[in-house]
Parts: sequence; C-alpha cells; structure tokens
Amino acid sequence: MGDVNLAVKEIFAIVGGIILVYFLVDLLVFRKQLKRPLYRSRLINVLLVLGIGSVIYVTLKTFTWQLIVQIFLLNTVDLCILMLATTGVVLIFKTSVTTNFAQGMMATFGAFFAATVVIRLSGVAGMSLSTRLFLGLLAGVLISFLLGLFIDVAIIRRGRYVTSVGKQMITMGLVMVLMGLIPVLFGTNPITLPAFSYDVELITIGENFLVIPTQNLYAIAITFAVLALLFAALRFTKWGLGVRATASSEIVASMMGVNTRVITAMSWAIAGGLGAIAAFFFASSGTQVQVASMVPVQVNAFMAAVLGSFASFGGSLIGAFLITLFSSVAPFFNDTWQNVIVYAIILLLVLAKPLGLFGKKTAKKV
Amino acid sequence: MLKLRTLLREWGKNLNLIIKHPYFGFVVFGALLLVVLLLRMGGLVQIGVVNAVVLTMIYSIIALGFSLLLGFGGLASLGTAGLVGLGTFVMGYFSGILNWPLLPTLALAFGIAIVVGLIVGFISLRIEGMYLAIITLGLAEILRAFFISYDKFTGGFSGRSFRNFTIFNQPVSTEAVYVTITVVFVLAMIATINIIKSPTGRALLAMKNSDSAAQSLGISLMKYRLLAFIISTVFAVLGGILYIMYIKFSYAPQWNLAFSLEILAAVIVGGAQSIFGIILGVFLIYGLNLAVLNNIPFFVQNPALIVIFNGALIVLVVMFYPGGLIRLIQTSHFKLKLFLQKLKHRMKVRRYGEDD
Repeated sequence: MGDVNLAVKEIFAIVGGIILVYFLVDLLVFRKQLKRPLYRSRLINVLLVLGIGSVIYVTLKTFTWQLIVQIFLLNTVDLCILMLATTGVVLIFKTSVTTNFAQGMMATFGAFFAATVVIRLSGVAGMSLSTRLFLGLLAGVLISFLLGLFIDVAIIRRGRYVTSVGKQMITMGLVMVLMGLIPVLFGTNPITLPAFSYDVELITIGENFLVIPTQNLYAIAITFAVLALLFAALRFTKWGLGVRATASSEIVASMMGVNTRVITAMSWAIAGGLGAIAAFFFASSGTQVQVASMVPVQVNAFMAAVLGSFASFGGSLIGAFLITLFSSVAPFFNDTWQNVIVYAIILLLVLAKPLGLFGKKTAKKV
Repeated sequence: MLKLRTLLREWGKNLNLIIKHPYFGFVVFGALLLVVLLLRMGGLVQIGVVNAVVLTMIYSIIALGFSLLLGFGGLASLGTAGLVGLGTFVMGYFSGILNWPLLPTLALAFGIAIVVGLIVGFISLRIEGMYLAIITLGLAEILRAFFISYDKFTGGFSGRSFRNFTIFNQPVSTEAVYVTITVVFVLAMIATINIIKSPTGRALLAMKNSDSAAQSLGISLMKYRLLAFIISTVFAVLGGILYIMYIKFSYAPQWNLAFSLEILAAVIVGGAQSIFGIILGVFLIYGLNLAVLNNIPFFVQNPALIVIFNGALIVLVVMFYPGGLIRLIQTSHFKLKLFLQKLKHRMKVRRYGEDD
C-alpha cells in the first residue's frame, strides 16, 4: 500500500491539469473555429477518458487491485440495491416524465410488509429461514407492485395534464401520506429482518484469496435475474416497445394505438416491485426496516440516473456501478469527507457531460 | 361648502391611489401580523399560533426567493435546504460563538450567499431541467455532509444553539425579534414585487417560456440566470439567519431533501406566480398543523393523521388546481358573478315564463 497523501495530491494535479488543458485549448485553439461545439465535445470525451484512466492508475498503484476488488465485493449488495432503485426511477421517468420522490417510500412500504410476513411465518413449523424470507420478499414485492398500480390508476393518471414539477409535488405528497400510514399499519418500531445467510464464501484467483458474503450472492442472483427479465421484456415484448414509444412522446404513442394508460400503470407497478426488492436487501444486510431508511438510497439513485443519463437504462446502471465504486473507494482517501468526495466527483463529471455520460442530445423545436 | 366637497373628493382620489398601490396590501398584512404579537402579549393567543406565524413568515421569505427561480425563471432547484442551513450556521457561529457584531456577520453571510449563487448560476448555464434539480440536490447534500462532518463550525450532531444575541450590546427580546422578522418579511415582499415588475422579472419570464426566443430578443441568459440564483440564495440565507434568531437552534441533519421539497411544495400548492399565493402555500404546509390542527382534539390523539392530512392536501391541490390554491380565490368572484346571473335568470323564468 502506497502513500495516500501522495495519491491525493496526484489526483488533484490530474484533475486540475485536465480542467486547465480544456480551458486553454478551448480558448486558444477552438475559439475561431466554425465547428467549435463539435470539437469541444470531442475534446471533453478524450480528456474524460484520459482523466479517468490516470485516476484509476494512481488508485491501483496506491492500493493494489486485490484490496479494491475485495472492498467492491463486500459492497456488491449496495450495488444491487442501487441498480434496482435506479431502474425504478428511470422507468417512471421514461413513462411519466417526472422524478418519483415516493420511490423510496413505496419500497419501504413493501419491506415493512415483507418483514411482517416473515415474523408471522416464524410460527409455522418445518419452514426454513430462507423459505420464509423468500415468501416474505414475494409478498413485499406483490404489495409494492399493487401500491404502484394503485398510485398510477388513482392519482397520476388523473393528473395527466399537470406539469412535470407538479407531478413531482404529487409524489412528494404521497411520501407524506405513506410516511403517516406506515406507523399506523405496521407499528412505530423498526423491524429487524434476518439475512439469508451470515456465512462468507471464499474465492481464489491465482494465489489471492478474496471473500464475499453469501448474502451478497443471494442479492446478486435475485437482482440479476429480475433485471435480466425486465430488460428482456423491454427489448422483446409489446409492452417494452410501448414503453419506448411512450418515452419518446406520449401523445404520438397514444395516437398510434399504444395503450399508454396500461404502459404507465405497469411501469409504476414494476418500479414499486423493484424498489421493494431493494428495500428488502437494504434492511436485511445490516440495518433495520425504518420509515426513512431508503432516503439516502433514493438520493443516490437520482444521482446515478443523472450521471448515467435519464434517457437510457444501460447508462443509468453504469452510473449506479460508478457511484458504488466511488463510495467504496472514497473512505480510503479520506474518512470524514467521503460523501463530499463522491458528490463532488459526480458534479464534475456531470458538468463535463451535462446529459449524463451516455446521454444523447435531443433536438428541440423553438 | 363647495370647497369642502372638492377637498373630500381629492382625499378620496388620494385614498384610492394608496389602496390601489401594490405595497398597500403588504403593509396592511404586516400590520395584521403585528396585531398577533399584541394579542399574544395580552395573553389572548397561544404560543403555537405565534410560532406558526413566525415560521410562515421566515419560510415565506425563502419561498419568495425560490419562486423567482421556479415561477419566473422556470429553473427548478432542490438546493434550498443547504443554503438555509448555511445561513443559520454562519449566524450561529460568527455571531453566537465568536461574538462578531451584527453587520460584519450579515456581510459575510450575504457574501457567501452571492458566491454560492454565482457557482450554481454558472452550473445552470450548462445543465437544465430535471438534471439541474438533481445536481442542486447534490450540492445541498455536499453542504449537509459538510455541516455534519465539520462539527467545530456547526456543532455536528449535537446542533448549534444560539443564546446571547445582542445588538449594540443590548440583549434582544423575543418580541423585538418578532417585529424584526415582520419588517424584513414586508420588505422582502416589496423587493419581490419590484423585481417581478421590473425588466429583470420580464426577462426571467421570457427565459422561462423559451430560452432561444429570449436570447434572440437580446436577453442575456447568463446575466439573468446568475441574477436569479443570487437573489434566491440571498433570500434563502436571510431566511436561515432569521430562523436561528427566533428558534435559537439549528441541527445539521435537519437541512435535508425533505426541507427543500417542502419549500417547493409550498410554492406549487399556493401558486408560483402570486406573492399571497406563496404565503398561503407556506401556511398550509408549515403553519396549519402548528396553529390549527394541534388544537383539534381528534388530530392531537392521532398525530400520524396530521402528516397524512398534509400529504393528501398537497396531492389534491396539485391534481385539481394546477395553478395553485390562489387561483381558487382569484377566480371565485367570477364564479360568484356567474352564479348570481344564473340565479337572476331563473327568477325571471319563474316570474315571466320560459323564453320562446
């Protein structure tokens, strides 16, 4: 392990140098060119690749790759949670053109239901812990699915002509309603949810031994199965085609015979279900089911969607991956300011690419 | 006799001018708010009502600054909480702990506000729409992480209390703080209406409707966006300063996403383009449960229902009155007129029979 202070200085030098190079080249060379925006975006791309490459090099030089891979493996459950939450946010953004602030609360609702089911089932004889957890998870997903469906059918659909900021406000009101409703339905105390397993698995790569908690393996398996199913549905089914059509223009899609009502309702329901899985794993790996427990996850999900791009599912997943990577490596550089570091990096990246790393610019009619 | 009549007529004209003047409503409103203080000193009003009124005033100042961004500039920002927190901590640390005099503290706070406003303004030139909202949310999270970690300045998780506030070496009473807040509130309303009616406000409106069209009419996007963000941050920091002057306590984790969203909700629910609408919205979100609901026994027994009630209110208002609750009041007299006409028509029909 190398010198951390030196690495911090080197990274600052790299970032500062790249910003300086960008401004110098833009001011001195591109200023009088006709195709300035085009050249500028190409310059930004090249500099980003160079910068990220050299930062990765410095990080690897300072803390050997085994350490970083090991830390990342321990954090894979966070990655799964963030991927599920981000996909839910992006799905709703695509069909309803709004950021759903109630995503976390819908998820918490499902997790509370799941935890209650798990506790109720503990009286049944001859049922193993993992079966109970699976049944609880299923019940939680189902209830969040129904909740999402209900929210769209009863509220969002009727406010179709509300502006997107107005819709944000509706979801914000829903947060308050659910926040008041959860203690009434499930009691005021947080509920503890057991993990699937508290063991760790050993992985050997060459001569190196790495460990991964078995709970994380369960999370990865379930997350990837669900996301693969969802992406297959988006790619190959009629519903997926409808989602893509609605995303590009709801009015035109409905004129072309796409039943946008069903599409939107299903998107809300599926987003609720994805959130419930995320909240379930968040609660069962270390913390408890609490009313406000999903708020930081939700903020990170918005960040991931902005970083990757709200317009593409793949991009936002890569955003989620990057954020998990940053937040697992950041504590090595500085213990106190890790959140500040992560958000500052995201801010810089988004300033360089305003539509997200993988966003495409859409032409707008004046 | 004739002279007196003309004199009266002149007076009437002047009175009419005064009443029609845009400041008149604000000043009368401020005076009414001062009456609440007098009633409290006479022991006629509970402390909850006074707290509700003060919080409504403080948050209205923040919301007024915010409405310049959202209602006029069309720029959604979720970074309000961080800036309000910044105001409270600058006041709490420099004035409360280091015992700086008032004016340098205010200058420092507004200086910081202007710098932050400039930074956010420059960011807003590059990032737009929903992306800007999320990025300002990120900035607020950075500020919040800073507040929590840097406990020498903010008190960290134990919070920063603010006790011995003095002006010119005289300790200030709660009543004086109330009067100060009311005066600042009225001044903020006057400043807002002046900005709205000035070329700046018109330029912001033009930018909201279409960036490109505004630019082609010669409106500098950079100048007005920076200006809008600076005004909004100064109002937010001012709100923070008044908050710690009255509440006397500020707690770092309190300045979170929920606070920014509540300010946003207040502006949307009340009506983003009307000053009294914004105040109405702030009262519904913050003041209603303190002043009214906490006195109704049904809600006192079920405190969870207050949150549900507030949430349901926001949802219903946004669904059925997208222009804000103030639209309901503004259009109600037209509706009343229509109703009276209909009533008259029906009376005529009853008296004279149906028209052929």
